[in-house]
Amino acid sequence: MTVKMEASEGGMPHNTLMIYGIVVAVVGTYLTYLNVVTGIAVFSFFGGIAAIAALWWGSDTIKHLCSYGLGTGVPSAGMVAFGSGAIAMIAGTKFGLASPIVTLILAAILGAVIGYIANSIINMNIPVMVTSLMEMAVVGAMTMLGFAAMCTGTFMFSGLVVGGMTLSMEPSAGAAGGAQTFLVTVLPEFAGSLIGGAALAVIFFLGAMALQHPFNACLGPNESQDRTLMLAIEVGFLSMFVVAVMSYAFLDLVSATVGVAISLIGWFYSYKQYIALSKRDAYDWLDAKPIREVGGDQ
Amino acid sequence: MSALGGAAAGGEGINPTGTVVGIVILLVSIAATYALGFSIIPLIGIIIGGALIGFGVHFVPVGGAPAAMGQAPGIATGVAMLAAGAGLAGLFGGAWAYEATGDFAVAIAGGAVGGGLMMAITCMMVNATYVFAMGIPAASGKVDKDPITGDTFPAYKSQGTEGHGLPFISFFGGVIGGLIAGLGGTLIYIELLEIYHVGLPAIMQADAAAIEPLAISMAGILAIGFFLVNAVLAAYNITGTIEGPHDPKFKRVPRAVIGCAVASAFCGFISMLIVLNTGM
Repeated sequence: MTVKMEASEGGMPHNTLMIYGIVVAVVGTYLTYLNVVTGIAVFSFFGGIAAIAALWWGSDTIKHLCSYGLGTGVPSAGMVAFGSGAIAMIAGTKFGLASPIVTLILAAILGAVIGYIANSIINMNIPVMVTSLMEMAVVGAMTMLGFAAMCTGTFMFSGLVVGGMTLSMEPSAGAAGGAQTFLVTVLPEFAGSLIGGAALAVIFFLGAMALQHPFNACLGPNESQDRTLMLAIEVGFLSMFVVAVMSYAFLDLVSATVGVAISLIGWFYSYKQYIALSKRDAYDWLDAKPIREVGGDQ
Repeated sequence: MSALGGAAAGGEGINPTGTVVGIVILLVSIAATYALGFSIIPLIGIIIGGALIGFGVHFVPVGGAPAAMGQAPGIATGVAMLAAGAGLAGLFGGAWAYEATGDFAVAIAGGAVGGGLMMAITCMMVNATYVFAMGIPAASGKVDKDPITGDTFPAYKSQGTEGHGLPFISFFGGVIGGLIAGLGGTLIYIELLEIYHVGLPAIMQADAAAIEPLAISMAGILAIGFFLVNAVLAAYNITGTIEGPHDPKFKRVPRAVIGCAVASAFCGFISMLIVLNTGM
């Protein structure tokens, strides 16, 4: 299958886009730390914004990589991004407050090694392979970290693996006077957490779908950068909405509802924009009305 | 309006420099794992598992978009999707077998059977769709005679196509591919579970029984990640479509085995950092 994937030239330069993507992703993830500073979890939605910024940048990277005609379809790039990103993200969250930065660096190293393997051992010989897979791994890791931070309100390992606390009561040695006393210990409960309950796997595929869809849907002779990137934002908000619904399990009612509201508003806005851009790029369009049901015997 | 670059130059043969650098990365990963005080046995298992995935994916008959239009033999989807389907089915089968029995050999066999079964069902339903819904006979475009059954193809092959449908050799390749890839995926999962089973209670000062669900989930998610990385690398090696073990592209398999082994070694090293005691 040697389908030539055509992509537009021009538009915003890729490096500018990458810098915006990295900065917003890292800053957005750090803004969820306001939850800890203020003690309320309403700032969790910044994680979703960070993830969307990463997806926005990743869609442009996919465009550059896949325009070389890998022969394997655009979705494979999204899969390798999140496969390597998941490994870097879980390892990166171990580093406390430095987690977003460490995740970024770990993912970049991992992506560079995989890119080198694909380019030199597998003999792909594509000039942008190493940098692209490096960017893809960072996008995958930052998207997962952003969505995980949105879902649980924290980007640190302890917050992602401890679902709640259970009290364990054991009868202690009989006290004087025959009164029954209990030894109460607090045990962390792991099965109800984001990673322990494998909710991270849902985030994994939500992000992977959002990353691989935009260019796959828009590629062709008429592809334009702003439309592809608007679709990336739209699918990003759609994934963010699902993550916001998942966050009801981990956050308080108000914080999760804020996330749902922001993602819905963002999705409606970006969807309208995307439809407008699609109409702009289309040669012609017909606003087809639903078929009218004519009642009676007519 | 044009493609941003030229066509991919996926040449044949092994690139000596790249392979040597890759083997150095593999050895450094093993050495770093040893230096950090971990056992290297699980890492060896992960490397073998990754190499098996890279090897197994090449057996799977992948047709891509041309197959959906009946213009090329194979299953009508991409390599990464198909490999992920077979591998994850095997992974779930193996994980369940390991949970139920705790026996290494049974779990590995369960994973292999799970992957093979998934591919057998897929191949059968694909052929049913091709023959009864699309009305096309199975004919390979790469060989004139099926190496196993001896069926001849040229009389059935439509003009202007590379063959169509799913001949027996491709079906056979799919099942073998599912078996090997499922086995590799399960091997990676079990080795990761061994690492976290021992490592997580130690760094989190928690009871081993309480932390069991966390170890299982984490090993599962990371095993999916490992699987996708290896499957996509193998897909890049195939570049598009492959009919099965009789396809000339099958000769490229050593590159994928080396590449997947190196990638698994490095990813395995990173995944061990999770249970490294950083004091945080």
